[in-house]
Amino acid sequence: MNIRCAKPEDLMTMQHCNLLCLPENYQMKYYFYHGLTWPQLSYVAEDDKGNIVGYVLAKMEEPEPGEESKHGHITSLAVKRSYRRLGLAQKLMNQASQAMVECFNAQYVSLHVRKSNRAALNLYTNSLKFKIIEVEPKYYADGEDAYAMRRDLRELAEDDGKPKSKDGGDEVSAHDHSKHSHRGAHNHSGHDGHCC
Amino acid sequence: MPSSDPLPPKEAALFRKLLKCYEMKQYKNGLKLAKQILSNPKFTEHGETLAMKGLTLNGLGRREEAYKYVRMGLRNDLRSHVCWHVYGLLQRSDKKYDEAIKCYRNALKWEKDNLQILKDLSLLQIQMRDLEGYKETRHHLFTLRPSQHASWTGFAMSYHLLGEHMMANNILETFSQSQTSIEAHDYRQSELLLYQNQILIEAHQLQQALDHLLKFEPQIVDKLAVRETLGDLYIKLKQEDKAVPIYESLIQRNPENVLYYKQYMTARRVSSPSDIVAVYREFQQQYPRALCPRRLPLDIASGDEFRVVADEYLRRGLRKGIPPLFVNVRSLHQQPEKANIIESLTLQYFENLTRSGHFSREDADAGVPVEPASALVWTALFLAQHYDYMRDTNRALEYINVAIDHTPTLIELLITKGRIFKHAGDAVEAYVWLEEAQSMDTADRYINSKCAKYMLRANMISEAEDICAKFTREGVSAMDNLNEMQCMWFQTECALAFQRMGRWGEALKKCHEVDRHFAEIIEDQFDFHTYCMRKMTLRAYVGLLRLEDVLRRHPFYFKAAKCGIEVYMRLYDKPLKSEATIEEIDIENLPPSELKKLRSKQRKAKKKAELESAQAAQAQVKREQHQKSKQQANQETDPDAPQLDELIPEKLERTDEPLEKAIEFLKPLQQFAKERIETHLLAFEVYYRKNKLLLMLQSILRARAVNPEHPVLHSCIIRFMKALANAKKSEPFNEHVQQVLDKATKELIGTKTPQQLNDEFIAKHHATSILHLYEGVRGLYELDPSKKQTAIKLITSFNLSKMRLEEAVQVYTALRDGDIFGECEKEADEYKLLCQQRFQYARIFRNVEELEAQLQEKEAAKLRAEEEQQQLNHLDSNEVSVTSTPASIAAAS
Repeated sequence: MNIRCAKPEDLMTMQHCNLLCLPENYQMKYYFYHGLTWPQLSYVAEDDKGNIVGYVLAKMEEPEPGEESKHGHITSLAVKRSYRRLGLAQKLMNQASQAMVECFNAQYVSLHVRKSNRAALNLYTNSLKFKIIEVEPKYYADGEDAYAMRRDLRELAEDDGKPKSKDGGDEVSAHDHSKHSHRGAHNHSGHDGHCC
Repeated sequence: MPSSDPLPPKEAALFRKLLKCYEMKQYKNGLKLAKQILSNPKFTEHGETLAMKGLTLNGLGRREEAYKYVRMGLRNDLRSHVCWHVYGLLQRSDKKYDEAIKCYRNALKWEKDNLQILKDLSLLQIQMRDLEGYKETRHHLFTLRPSQHASWTGFAMSYHLLGEHMMANNILETFSQSQTSIEAHDYRQSELLLYQNQILIEAHQLQQALDHLLKFEPQIVDKLAVRETLGDLYIKLKQEDKAVPIYESLIQRNPENVLYYKQYMTARRVSSPSDIVAVYREFQQQYPRALCPRRLPLDIASGDEFRVVADEYLRRGLRKGIPPLFVNVRSLHQQPEKANIIESLTLQYFENLTRSGHFSREDADAGVPVEPASALVWTALFLAQHYDYMRDTNRALEYINVAIDHTPTLIELLITKGRIFKHAGDAVEAYVWLEEAQSMDTADRYINSKCAKYMLRANMISEAEDICAKFTREGVSAMDNLNEMQCMWFQTECALAFQRMGRWGEALKKCHEVDRHFAEIIEDQFDFHTYCMRKMTLRAYVGLLRLEDVLRRHPFYFKAAKCGIEVYMRLYDKPLKSEATIEEIDIENLPPSELKKLRSKQRKAKKKAELESAQAAQAQVKREQHQKSKQQANQETDPDAPQLDELIPEKLERTDEPLEKAIEFLKPLQQFAKERIETHLLAFEVYYRKNKLLLMLQSILRARAVNPEHPVLHSCIIRFMKALANAKKSEPFNEHVQQVLDKATKELIGTKTPQQLNDEFIAKHHATSILHLYEGVRGLYELDPSKKQTAIKLITSFNLSKMRLEEAVQVYTALRDGDIFGECEKEADEYKLLCQQRFQYARIFRNVEELEAQLQEKEAAKLRAEEEQQQLNHLDSNEVSVTSTPASIAAAS
């Protein structure tokens, strides 16, 4: 197993992994948008043949009203079922969060998760210290609600590069996001999704 | 900018408004303004207005009219840069980039310093990789606007892309010296510095790169990039001592990065396997939860040391119950010594766990607490996967059944059982198990995708689509949605299934869809040319350009292109009859039993076709609706995307030029997948059919450069020699061609005749390699069809126990189809029986009747189980429904 920052040539394989694992899919251009706007934020996990078995696709968001600085956002996170229980999702998330702090001064990182996805919810709350901020009704294309969650990243900023939280043998991580769509992908209530 | 045909003030004002409207995408208002100008009798022919009217129409999606007006405008005012620019914009929106470049160049003839035109031109040049042209344009822009940041970076980039690194570096260096105030946390500045550093490294100026990085480190926010680069530079510059702490800190930051450990070992000059393992042990202490320090020693250690580290690794994984334990050691199986040790260790665990609940007798004797009960299941699963890898189907099934008996609800076990059957050649039994697994966790798309894939392997395309539909958007067919989402694995697997079933047109449709995804992805880069300059993410941008340059090297393209080429060649070899002639099979000579079969087959086919056409009609309606809504949605966002021809299977499979179509798929492979021998073997097959001797020769030579021992290469040489001899008979070659051919022939086979060459080839390989023997025997028959019996005897007497399933399938299908060694039905049947004994699970060698009976039995069992289930539900309707129906398990075992 090898975890490293994603390169442009990984983006197609990340899309492949996403299509295998998650219901929320995006066209290639949206992956390029991430990789070319915030090249430090997306990470991949690969097996010993170099196949990508998990990834985190992440971005920065403009400050919410009343906030001063930007925050990070997890667009998509997946680990192939055959590689679960290794703690990969958590490790990927920690690397991405660290980069958000260093490169973009992120104060916190946000994400959405399906209300029914207990395994992911468990990972976010117990292993990664995310907190539920609110419920977004009918967030997903199929009508399911989402939890909007946040993790405070200030401890990482003070810490200078030591992912603190302990990695338990976490559960699965598959999760969310249909917020953004590119050219009629998953049309959704959410905004953006457009580069350039 | 003075116009060549100026308008008076009132009209000029209207024209400016028209331009504004176009920029604001207010196309309807724009048209009104154009009309106002053109309705004045003095200006009905005004070129620039007509051109702008055309461009505005294009914005509304009225492409044909757009071209008409733009061209009309241009004819009326050939000296107007506006008309040329507009024509360029129109061509660009039509993706005719080469044409657009010409237009911009013409526009610049009349207005050489127009910034907008120059910028537009530079985008097209970089998109088309006209790097020299790009450099000139960027230089021009630079001289016009030296105060803008983008002028400097674009100028530097143009030299970098041409490989003139030092020039690029000098430009950036001058620029950075002119910078006065730097903000504390400036991401763009940080990216620019790292880009310059990358240029220095690519120019092999390592010391300079190191100095640069150290000097600017405080300004760089991407700390990871700094440390990774510093570490690497120190090692390359032989300052290993300085690299050690850097890699220590990197490992602390991310203990799962393989490269960090390798670099760390290099930096510390640790090289003997035992020493490396010892260092990993230190890291295990330091990072007890990290995977790498425990897994990597398994690659390094050997012999007894390997046994020790493998023992620790496996016990830990089995105790914790980590499903990916096997896949993480699979690569070790390439070394027989390690595979043997792993096998003996896990067999010992299994034995002892069964007996006493311990991994070993020593543990039991020492009174160590017993392992968790689940350890036995995980050990059985591991052994099943291990024997499956070894293709020992019986033992694999033995262990997986133990595991399933123990824990019937563990989905991973069912998936593994399915995979065992897949590898054993029974795609149907395989999918049954995957379907079962899928039904136990319907919320997980991964298992859903795997189930669909297994269905496609069993040629069950509509079933696969239905399964996929559980996760695709509602209101659109799954097929369309997956295409829209560029789901290439699914489309390629569909193409292969259609190919296996001889549904050529549909297979081609899928191959072309994949090809179009690649075209679209190449198109996608366009917007990023300006975007990345603005965001200053130049390292990633260069990475994108380099990726797009070789995009069709991707394995997804290779797979689809190979399928496309094979299907087009098949259509060339056996062109489809027109639909009317298919019915007129010679029924007079058929025995009554066969006739009956044929009739029932025809009836079934007719029924199926009716059903399918009804479904297709429905789907068509849906598609049209979808297209319409999509077009409406696109109206505002993307009016330019040119409509591609619809891919119609019936048309695709009745093409007049199958080989030309095959070559379209082949070209990118020859360009980007040179290192794969299959590329050149496919190329040979195409050119052999086109009887192009020099191209055949070229393919052979390229294939030989990749792997001179590849079995198929021999057959290519033999067929080439035969084609050459035939060509010589018909007409003499041109002198130069003759020279090339003579030289190459001499090099390929010396002074031997093809017969001699072939005989030697058979003699060399007949006992050792079935794939070589296959090609030799093929040559034997090819060169002398009277040797058919000898050929068949040779190929069928190769020791089956030394053959793999895929090899047996290849030999058997060649015998069955009669197109490699001639008709030989009897021998094929005999061979099939032999294969059946050797590969008892492979469907291809079994009897159709037996399989059908089995299938019926299975369906009946399923029905019975469903009935039982219903009764059960009836009894206790409050109970949560049991999702894991044991139906197919019962039927299969």
